[in-house]
Amino acid sequence: MNGNTHNSTDGGQGSATLAERWYVPVEIRALRVWLPFAALVNLLILAGEALRGNGAEQLGVLGAIVLLLILRASLPDGRQRWRRYAGQGLAAAILVLGLLSLLRRDATFYDLWATSWLFAPSALALYWMSAGLSGSWCAGAQDAGAAELGLARNRTLAPRFEAFALHTFLIHAVALVVAPVIWIVDVSISPGNILGGAIFDAFTLEHFRAVLGGEAFWLWTRNSLVVALGTTLVGLLLAIPAGYAFSRYQFAGRKGAMFVFMLIQMFPGIIILVPYFMVMKTLGLLNTSLGLIVAYSVTALPLCVWMLKGFFDAVPRALEEAALLDGCNRVEVFFFVVLPLSLPAVAITALFSFLTAWNEFLLALVFNTSNDAYTLPVGLASMIPATGQLWGDFAAASIVVSIPVVILFVLFQQSLIQGMSSGAVKG
Amino acid sequence: MSDVEFIGTTKVYDDGAVALDALDLTVREGEFLVLLGPSGCGKSTALRLLAGLEDITRGEIRIGGSRVNDLPPGARGLGMVFQSYALYPHMTVRANLAFGLRRGRGDARVDAEEISARVEEAAELLDLHKWLEKKPRELSGGQQQRVAIGRALVRRPKVLLMDEPLSNLDAKLRNRMRFELRRLHEAHGTTTLYVTHDQVEAMTLADRVAILSEGRLQQSSKPLEAYHRPANSFVASFLGTPAMNLIEGAAEGGVFTAGELSFALPEHLAGRDGPGIFGIRPEDVRILDNGDGSGSPGDVPCRVGGVEHLGSDTVYHLEAGGNWIRALRRRTADQAQGTAGGQDREVRVSLAVPAALIFEE
Repeated sequence: MNGNTHNSTDGGQGSATLAERWYVPVEIRALRVWLPFAALVNLLILAGEALRGNGAEQLGVLGAIVLLLILRASLPDGRQRWRRYAGQGLAAAILVLGLLSLLRRDATFYDLWATSWLFAPSALALYWMSAGLSGSWCAGAQDAGAAELGLARNRTLAPRFEAFALHTFLIHAVALVVAPVIWIVDVSISPGNILGGAIFDAFTLEHFRAVLGGEAFWLWTRNSLVVALGTTLVGLLLAIPAGYAFSRYQFAGRKGAMFVFMLIQMFPGIIILVPYFMVMKTLGLLNTSLGLIVAYSVTALPLCVWMLKGFFDAVPRALEEAALLDGCNRVEVFFFVVLPLSLPAVAITALFSFLTAWNEFLLALVFNTSNDAYTLPVGLASMIPATGQLWGDFAAASIVVSIPVVILFVLFQQSLIQGMSSGAVKG
Repeated sequence: MSDVEFIGTTKVYDDGAVALDALDLTVREGEFLVLLGPSGCGKSTALRLLAGLEDITRGEIRIGGSRVNDLPPGARGLGMVFQSYALYPHMTVRANLAFGLRRGRGDARVDAEEISARVEEAAELLDLHKWLEKKPRELSGGQQQRVAIGRALVRRPKVLLMDEPLSNLDAKLRNRMRFELRRLHEAHGTTTLYVTHDQVEAMTLADRVAILSEGRLQQSSKPLEAYHRPANSFVASFLGTPAMNLIEGAAEGGVFTAGELSFALPEHLAGRDGPGIFGIRPEDVRILDNGDGSGSPGDVPCRVGGVEHLGSDTVYHLEAGGNWIRALRRRTADQAQGTAGGQDREVRVSLAVPAALIFEE
């Protein structure tokens, strides 16, 4: 079929064996996926450069992207020798373009990373098409025995290639998430109020001292705690009975009410900002914690009710019926059976309410005109006035404010994992 | 006096579906009554109405002579074992058993010493000692089942309700628990209402079985009586595996005719006239050795359409004048029943046996 001139070990004269027809070295398989991905990443990098106004300097990269895609299209197929030579030539060209791109850049970490997206794929392609088992396959030098060995080799190597690709992706994802945190930590421990500069080149606690030593910070913390805990308490007291009622009772307007709850979630908060302000002004709740508690409870309520309803739905009715027969009334059923089983859900809902209130900025900014009534987010924002930004203090305060949130997450993680309801009902 | 009386008890759901239609049934003190029927027949509804988990639309339910329609479930003096067991997953076995006792108020108040004594007693009875401090999810299905029974019994209920309690167990365990349930009942003598769709459970457990279909009571009698003397064709077809042969036709002058099939009726049915359904259990069909033509006028010539070997029994599917007749033959050589041999053989069977029945509908 393919004019194979080599002797097949099993004597399949002239026609390729199953192994030969299926065998493609894992390296070439990897290139088929990685090359378009590399092209995409390079395109994103180029777009970034263009937005920063450096696009014109990196036009060579555009050529390299085109070459990457051509290389992907003309990867060796194990038979036609010209594909191998073409591939090698293209890979070499991309390598050169990468070198040119690097020459036009500084040698910072970012620049090295950016050009590595040209170097790595082209170098790998060049090596794999030239040397080793995949190299000889590209040259068309395979027989049935080699193909079978190759398939066995693919089986062991493919998971490693996949793991490599996956880890590359995950490392980038982690870096993306961690970078701002590292940056803000660096700013908080660097002397002065500089935003840029080298990472971790100096160390000082002056910003933390300034923040924790000032009276304003503790006042804001107290306000935030009162508001957040109050919101959690009020939110739960309203959401738990509401969620239970939605879950277990049929009543007129049940569906409508559920829908309205959903609908409220769809409006951005800023739409109701002005009416909200008027209401709070009329009630005399501006510059008070109570005003914010009411506002946040109402905001967080729909989602809390929906979440709790979902969990209550999962508590088997037979458990409630068993409790009824055991002599409980409706209220006792709820407190002795349903609520203990839903504690993880209540914990999540509490966490959600707390975080909503702890992090909220817009309403707190509008409702509170007095410095004494600021919550932490508003207080933090006030540290960046138009003149003389205190970036160091700001960063230090941000970290201090984030710590309770982190602690809460770590604590509540435990209760999330507890699948208490498992084993409640068999089958 | 812990009789349970259903008096014209009717349940109509909001969507108009009639789940239970004027049930009249009395469960006598100490009796083990099984409510049997296919799914959707109203047996579970009857149990849930008695338990107070659903409201009665019409009629009433009395326990020990007093009306309980409007009593809350916990005040009716019942213990219930749920199909899913419904053990409280956040409590230990001990707490599960004690939960109901702790809820006692007023006259029903049970002090702490009494609670722990009763829990011990239940643990003893059901062999639960090893599991008392475990959570339900750490227990196997059979153990959970025991805890569920224990939880129902510790409150010393006047009536014990069981809703398909064995249906979540595997076949082997089911057989064992069935035996234990019977033993438990004989030891305690608690009035028991047991819901199942499994006729084997009904036959083996029940003092009396009440068979329901489409919300109506079809028959309530001793299990064997229901088997041998079914009140109507539904009961006849529902009880017994393989099911009773039912042949629709008409009787006239001692002869039953159904399409091309026609045969003489046994003596006790000879006087019947008019349309009806002729019923005969597969094990009562007598297979006459072979078609030597020397049979009596009641014999029916058949063709063997299929043979099922079940090990202890063999089921023959016989075709006779457009009707299919199932005949069951024990493996033990019972010559009176005869053998039908293999596929497509011509045989003769006798349907004129004393156990044959005719139903009006």
